[in-house]
Amino acid sequence: MSDYKKTIGIEIHCELNSNTKIFSNSINGYGKTANSNVNVVDLGYPGVLPTLNMEVIRLALKAALILNCEINKEMHFDRKNYFYPDNPKNYQITQLETPIGVNGWVEIEVNGQKKKIRIHDIHIEEDTCKSIHYKHHSFLDFNRAGVPLVEIVTEADITSSEEAMAYVEKLRELFLYADVSDCKIEEGSMRCDVNISISKTDEWGTRAEIKNIGSISNVGRAIEREAIRQEELIENGGSVVFATYRYDEKEDKTIMMRVKEAGNDYRYFPEPDIPFVVIDDNFIEDVRKSIPMLASERREKYVLAGISELNANKIIQNRSLSNYLNRFLDKDIDLVVASNLLLGDIAGYLNKTGALIDNTKLNDEKFITVVTKLSKGDINSKVFKDILDDLMESDSSVDEIISSKGIKIISDPNELKNIISTILSNNENSVNDYKSGNERAIKFLMGQIMKETKGSANPELVNKLLLEELNK
Amino acid sequence: MSKYLDLSIKEINELLKKKEIKPIDLVNEAFERIEANSNLNAFITLDKERAIEKAKSLEEKCVDNILFGIPIAVKDNIVTKDLRTTCASHILDNFIPIYDATVVEMINDKNMIIIGKTNMDEFAMGSTSQTSYFGAPKNPWDTTKISGGSSGGSAVAVSSRMVPLALGSDTGGSIRQPSSYCGIVGMKPTYGRVSRYGLVAFGSSLDQIGPMTRNVYENALLLNAICGRDDKDLTSSYEEVVDFTSKIGESISGMKIAIPNYFVSDIVSSEVKEKLDNVVSLLKENGALVDYIDIDYIENAVTLYQIIGMGEASSNLARFDGVRYGYSVNDPSSIDELYCKTRGEGFGEEVKRRIMVGSYLLSGSNADVYYTKALQIRNGIRESFKEAFEKYDLIIGPNATTTAYNLGEGLDDPLKTFLDDVLVFPANMAGLPGMNVPMGFGEGHLPIGLQIIGNSFDEVTMYKLASFIEEKLGLELDPREVK
Repeated sequence: MSDYKKTIGIEIHCELNSNTKIFSNSINGYGKTANSNVNVVDLGYPGVLPTLNMEVIRLALKAALILNCEINKEMHFDRKNYFYPDNPKNYQITQLETPIGVNGWVEIEVNGQKKKIRIHDIHIEEDTCKSIHYKHHSFLDFNRAGVPLVEIVTEADITSSEEAMAYVEKLRELFLYADVSDCKIEEGSMRCDVNISISKTDEWGTRAEIKNIGSISNVGRAIEREAIRQEELIENGGSVVFATYRYDEKEDKTIMMRVKEAGNDYRYFPEPDIPFVVIDDNFIEDVRKSIPMLASERREKYVLAGISELNANKIIQNRSLSNYLNRFLDKDIDLVVASNLLLGDIAGYLNKTGALIDNTKLNDEKFITVVTKLSKGDINSKVFKDILDDLMESDSSVDEIISSKGIKIISDPNELKNIISTILSNNENSVNDYKSGNERAIKFLMGQIMKETKGSANPELVNKLLLEELNK
Repeated sequence: MSKYLDLSIKEINELLKKKEIKPIDLVNEAFERIEANSNLNAFITLDKERAIEKAKSLEEKCVDNILFGIPIAVKDNIVTKDLRTTCASHILDNFIPIYDATVVEMINDKNMIIIGKTNMDEFAMGSTSQTSYFGAPKNPWDTTKISGGSSGGSAVAVSSRMVPLALGSDTGGSIRQPSSYCGIVGMKPTYGRVSRYGLVAFGSSLDQIGPMTRNVYENALLLNAICGRDDKDLTSSYEEVVDFTSKIGESISGMKIAIPNYFVSDIVSSEVKEKLDNVVSLLKENGALVDYIDIDYIENAVTLYQIIGMGEASSNLARFDGVRYGYSVNDPSSIDELYCKTRGEGFGEEVKRRIMVGSYLLSGSNADVYYTKALQIRNGIRESFKEAFEKYDLIIGPNATTTAYNLGEGLDDPLKTFLDDVLVFPANMAGLPGMNVPMGFGEGHLPIGLQIIGNSFDEVTMYKLASFIEEKLGLELDPREVK
């Protein structure tokens, strides 16, 4: 094991999911025909001026609050000047002097150990165009130009690839749940740059920057590979150069893109076209109230309700299912049964049909009824499967659906006792097996009873009555 | 040849309402005059076909406002949809905008008729209009003299009576100084009064569009038509818009007027001072109080203008890179070559000089040494003016230290153009409204202008004083009458 310590800082860009762009009224949307969500402002036409989308300020403020930041109540924008084809004005409007949030933190957990990663700042800026290179040509898609971003910069608090991955995953979960960003790394709505140096002492080494890493697991791999590269370099008498790298997944290594010159000269100055933005305490409180229950709190509540940690995490990964389940947190139903249904047959149905749960006919009343029937044993899972499509698609009540399917639930003990007696007298061998200690015989007998009743018997009740009969 | 364009706008309006003339008569006359004066080089692009079409379409419409059907010229750094907008630069000499500036929309809403785009210094950088890619306009009072700048073409078009109205822009005196040299009335409104949306940016925190006209009343009319909050320009003001003609004709008795000592210091020529003294006597005779005061920091305005104006310009002009619009070199071998050659060939000397100086000023630690410091001193100027306006209604002085000088002069001296404009920069630095009203003639019968600086959003009081001076002096301001 290496005796070099890693020092890691992470910069994450997240596209905010506002309806329109930050400085123009073009639609903010992914995957549209190239250059369809574009106007003269996005193109940086001569004479145009930026407007300011207050929805972006709200979303960024929400993000800053979630990251426990101090809020800059008076903020302005700055111009970052550099020439690049994807930068329509050849300057980017960003925040240097007055980022919306500073001095925050995010708590992560690695191997049961909790740790706070400090956030240096979170600032608002505009996205650039997307460059598309084809043969000897480059094309520009301006749909992305002016899409609002927040950039979150950590302090160099991260010391391992595990912590780095946990941090990115945590940030993704937070933003996803607060509805700040859709955080899709593969679509580029969340982009991750890692700064890493290694050192045997407390003094930091020279850092390398790995840009635009394409997945959370690659964040971990890139860090490991880069640390090894730096260590080999140093051990062989070389020294790390301050440079920008990319991580190549196929080759599983970091590849240098360009050496950084001492101090990039971006000629920052305050953006004169946008006056100071002043946000007051009422606005901040209003935004704070709009933050929904976050994933960690949900996880806590689910586990408390008896749901396994595995299933709790599975539900949390699907925000609409989690939001759905949350509607029943204070209802008198079995949340374990409810979560199993959601993750099992209901998720299957939604996958198959492509529907969203909120767009189905499975309203609160129906869900409560069906969960209660299942937990009481009034219906079994086979019946549930039979009525699932109707539950999701028809306006009828659960009882109406069950009876319309001709499904009869036998819960009358006397009726069941008669059936059980018949089955037992027809299967004396199995009864004898049971009595001579073969527990497995009971399963066979149960199966026979269910077959006889076409699955409509209450299995718990059958089990109970069967044991009573056998043990007479 | 008809002479409707020699009538006042009020008179033209009466004739239009009575159907004694049609807008097309005015348009035809404007083009006749422009063609007859083509040597003055006032316009870069004319919009004859559309102007005629618009004039004809107006024949069906009711004459619903006083500016209805009036021909107007627009400085060529204000974008006009489907009409070439060059900023007097090679880099935009093929640029046809796909949208209208807000002021252009407002002009169209009032059914004024845009005749064409006026000549100017390239990207408004200069004070002689000689940096124009299309050659300098000439002063109608003496065609060997400069028009002033950067809104030289607009000043010439109005002064020579080609059109009664024009729009200019003023970053560091570019409306007031050419108005002074050409003997017309020009107003740089309070920063934020008029939307900048569609004005090709030079110094964003200084730029302001304003009216340039033959007389004070018509100037106020045009300002009425173009100001007000525009949601497309976050720096435009919500300030209530009053009728700027409303105080014209009121007595000036009891008005308190200040003259900064700097405005009558040695930098100002004696003939200009003499005319200013005349005005001072006139004001005192009519019951106004006139004091000479010090306004701190105004002597720094040149330096501030250079730092702030060039710093912002270096960023604003970065977008002209040959990628999306405008001039672009053929077959560059790399993206860097595209940038360097396009900008190297597309921009003129003065523009390149200012971009380079501006980039230097914002570079690394220079930003703190120069730009940030300049912003602080700018606040100092603002405070000084604020203090002055607690005691005085208006501040006056000359707009230019001399009359218009010879074409070709000072081209090899990049500082001259700034030093000529020392008197106009303070208003831009403070964001205050400043205007020119002619106050006499100097040697060679070249116009001399009075500058009036008002308190924030108090243009209405400036018009009151300006119209008083205009009326009392009764100058003959039509250069054709003098020849």
